[in-house]
Amino acid sequence: MEIKIMKNILDRNQNKANEVRNLLISKKVLMVNIISSPGAGKTTLLERTCEALGAKFRIGVIEGDITTDRDAQRLKKYNIPIVVINTEGGCHLDSNSISKVLDSFNLDNLDVLFVENVGNLICPSQFDLGESFKLAIVSTTEGDDKPAKYPMLFREAVAVLLNKIDLIPYTNFNFENFSSDLKKINAQIPLFEISCTRGDGLTEWYKWIEDKVRDYPLRR
Amino acid sequence: MIVLDTALSNNLSKVTKVNIIFGQLIQIVPDIFEFAFRETVRNSVADGAELYIEIVPVIMKCLNCGNDFQPKENLFACNICSSTDLGIMQGKELFIKSIEGE
Repeated sequence: MEIKIMKNILDRNQNKANEVRNLLISKKVLMVNIISSPGAGKTTLLERTCEALGAKFRIGVIEGDITTDRDAQRLKKYNIPIVVINTEGGCHLDSNSISKVLDSFNLDNLDVLFVENVGNLICPSQFDLGESFKLAIVSTTEGDDKPAKYPMLFREAVAVLLNKIDLIPYTNFNFENFSSDLKKINAQIPLFEISCTRGDGLTEWYKWIEDKVRDYPLRR
Repeated sequence: MIVLDTALSNNLSKVTKVNIIFGQLIQIVPDIFEFAFRETVRNSVADGAELYIEIVPVIMKCLNCGNDFQPKENLFACNICSSTDLGIMQGKELFIKSIEGE
């Protein structure tokens, strides 16, 4: 006897993600799911962004980490609400863990919630957290082949930040290869070339994310 | 869980086969999935079930000219009008298609 099912294996994750998304829309909170390899600069980007936009917007952060709260410690000085999710070995966050920690935030007092996913380019791109959009960060020291190797992430993300451009002279990173692979996968995706330590390109990023926060949820 | 729930609600005493559909974009390694599946269903009615994984290719729809096409690897643009305004019709599946049992 064959029984037809045709059900998404991640059904429960999807249902919970939809709940989270509806809640955040009703509270007018933009949620950004930040995905990158370990060490690409997610936390440093959040540090710079808190410094630049902390006075304009009410920012909250969910830190996904396999273990430790070191990333959260780095952001403590900005006096923003931060919740750490330790996945205890898990390689990605899921919508259920996000849903549980949303209770710890006063969503009426937030404009934007950054979720720093676990450093990994594969699994996080499969799990909808209920975010408004996904953001991909790649750093030049990882090599220029990341879009070609992980097309799903670069198809799902709405913008790409290429970090550590100040280090290009010390690597074999080829910007033309990177950019043309990326455009083949997602021709219309905005690409920001930045250095979080030296400050290159950050003004454009701040302007872009400011517009996203300001327009949310009117234009999505 | 979906497999076990379905087996229970259909009064199956044994699941003999589980049919899975993965989209090509999902990048799941069948061997790793199979290992995880075996560990998960150990000592359940699905212990020992055959696992059949079908991987379906990416199919996109051009939102400009309406053409449905299978993109060449990592080149996501319409093969007729070259538009990059595309919808993904197939390729992100992660489905349990059906189970077989008695």
